[in-house]
Amino acid sequence: MKKLIDLVNSYYSKNKRLVAPLLGFPGVKMVGSSIKLAQQNHEEHFKVVNSLVTKFEPDFQFVLMDLSVEANALGLNTIFPPHESATVLKKDREFNMDDLDLLRKIEFDSDGRLLSYVKTVELMKLNFPSNVKVGAYVSGPYTLAGLIIGAEEAGLMAAREPEKLEKICVFTTECIMKYTRLLLSAGADAVCVLEPSGVMLGPSHFNKFSAVNVKEIVEICHRENVDCVYHVCGNSMHLIGEMVQSGVDALSLDSKDTGVELLEVAKSIPENVILIGNISPTKTIVYGNPQGVKTEVRDLLELMDGFSNYVLSTGCDLPLETPLDNVSAFMETGRNYMISC
Amino acid sequence: MSVLEDLKESVIAGNESKVVKYTQQALDEGVDLEEILNTGFIPGMEIVGNMFQANEIYVPEMLMSARAMKAGMKILEPLLTKAGIEPIGKVVIGTVKGDLHDIGKNLVAMMLEGAGFEVIDAGVDITPQKFMDLVKENKPDILCLSALLTTTMGEIKKVIDAFKENGLRDDIKIMVGGAPLTDDYSKEIGADGYSPDAASAVLLAKKLVGK
Repeated sequence: MKKLIDLVNSYYSKNKRLVAPLLGFPGVKMVGSSIKLAQQNHEEHFKVVNSLVTKFEPDFQFVLMDLSVEANALGLNTIFPPHESATVLKKDREFNMDDLDLLRKIEFDSDGRLLSYVKTVELMKLNFPSNVKVGAYVSGPYTLAGLIIGAEEAGLMAAREPEKLEKICVFTTECIMKYTRLLLSAGADAVCVLEPSGVMLGPSHFNKFSAVNVKEIVEICHRENVDCVYHVCGNSMHLIGEMVQSGVDALSLDSKDTGVELLEVAKSIPENVILIGNISPTKTIVYGNPQGVKTEVRDLLELMDGFSNYVLSTGCDLPLETPLDNVSAFMETGRNYMISC
Repeated sequence: MSVLEDLKESVIAGNESKVVKYTQQALDEGVDLEEILNTGFIPGMEIVGNMFQANEIYVPEMLMSARAMKAGMKILEPLLTKAGIEPIGKVVIGTVKGDLHDIGKNLVAMMLEGAGFEVIDAGVDITPQKFMDLVKENKPDILCLSALLTTTMGEIKKVIDAFKENGLRDDIKIMVGGAPLTDDYSKEIGADGYSPDAASAVLLAKKLVGK
């Protein structure tokens, strides 16, 4: 498969941009389904993402964003509200390092729901037009560790007992790599590592618990010539260097509202690392109107004109209640825009 | 170094056992309760907040300090109550309905405690009715609402609307926070203030109670 950077550069040479909002849940509404069903049934899941591809024709379509897949496959208590993404409940008892031995015995990659995501990717690869790239998500090593031991406990452990947390993150990385291999076999064109909890860490902790481990996920993606994307929610400006050092092909960054300055990032990263972002999913897309969306998208595209390594997207995932007219305005503005330098 | 200086440094370092030790030592030495609070805990947590805002420390270090401070406050609190020393304000805090993510809320709660507020932690997944009940029962100065998800941020508006509809809005200040929220959005939904992080939440809360 053509590497994403080559595709991005070829668009840039034609003064165009790839357009790929982080779009999944609005499709649930479009097909009259529920998030609960789509996250537990691969045919329904495919129907949801396919409806988005048919209507909006993005350059990339990812599966539904779901940070509970790996945690759920490890047997963690997960709830499935009908119209919200599945959520892992807080642990009701303290994590013990011996628990890792038990978790290792779980047949993680035989889990039904995890395999349902793999099958969704298969269906996407088989049925999407060839110009639409298929994206899959995996949890980040630190975020998954936080789900296993508790987010607050993970934060404290980072500072108090880093060697223990490192062990847990090595374990979570092993799990994520198993899942990644399945997604690669299913035909994913890109794997995006979701590390939302990573934003709470300082650079050295982020490197130790996330980036070093993500490097291994990147390596197995690269062996299959598949691109790997790093997504951190919130203001990740202090982590850009560490994210790049992991060897990923692209950084997907949150909106300016959170403090991310895309231009500043573009100036600081190598040209072969792609920047993906960062229109505000809430302020602009959910609570805005089509005219406002057009203005903000155009402003952002103009800002990024001087950089070849850029893909227009949203800063984070779009929720169920996203007005579809605003997504259309996003896509239309992105498609029609011509780079002027 | 005086025991209060040691206490302050231990809060900053997030050393729970030392905070407990120096709190007890200060009490044993007969140091005034308010002095322990105002010279040990509060400036310690203020420095932690400043370091966080300056990106000198991050959430793990802040959590350590907050937990250490909380351990010391556990010794101090009953004594403060017994001595009739009033907190600088009272706060009810919780995450809105459907939102189970509480690390941000917990940090804000601990930072507010460290700044001298009395904090009633409602927990997670709280309905507008439950927030109203808690406010009626506890009569706080401030209600803090937290939402981490784009799917639950709309619930914050529902809480504020419920307070308006039930004639309770004028009696309380409402501050909001959480990853998807912005200052603009907080104004739009009628909150009294928004803070992007736990350190700013303390400054905002103090401003809202006029301290």
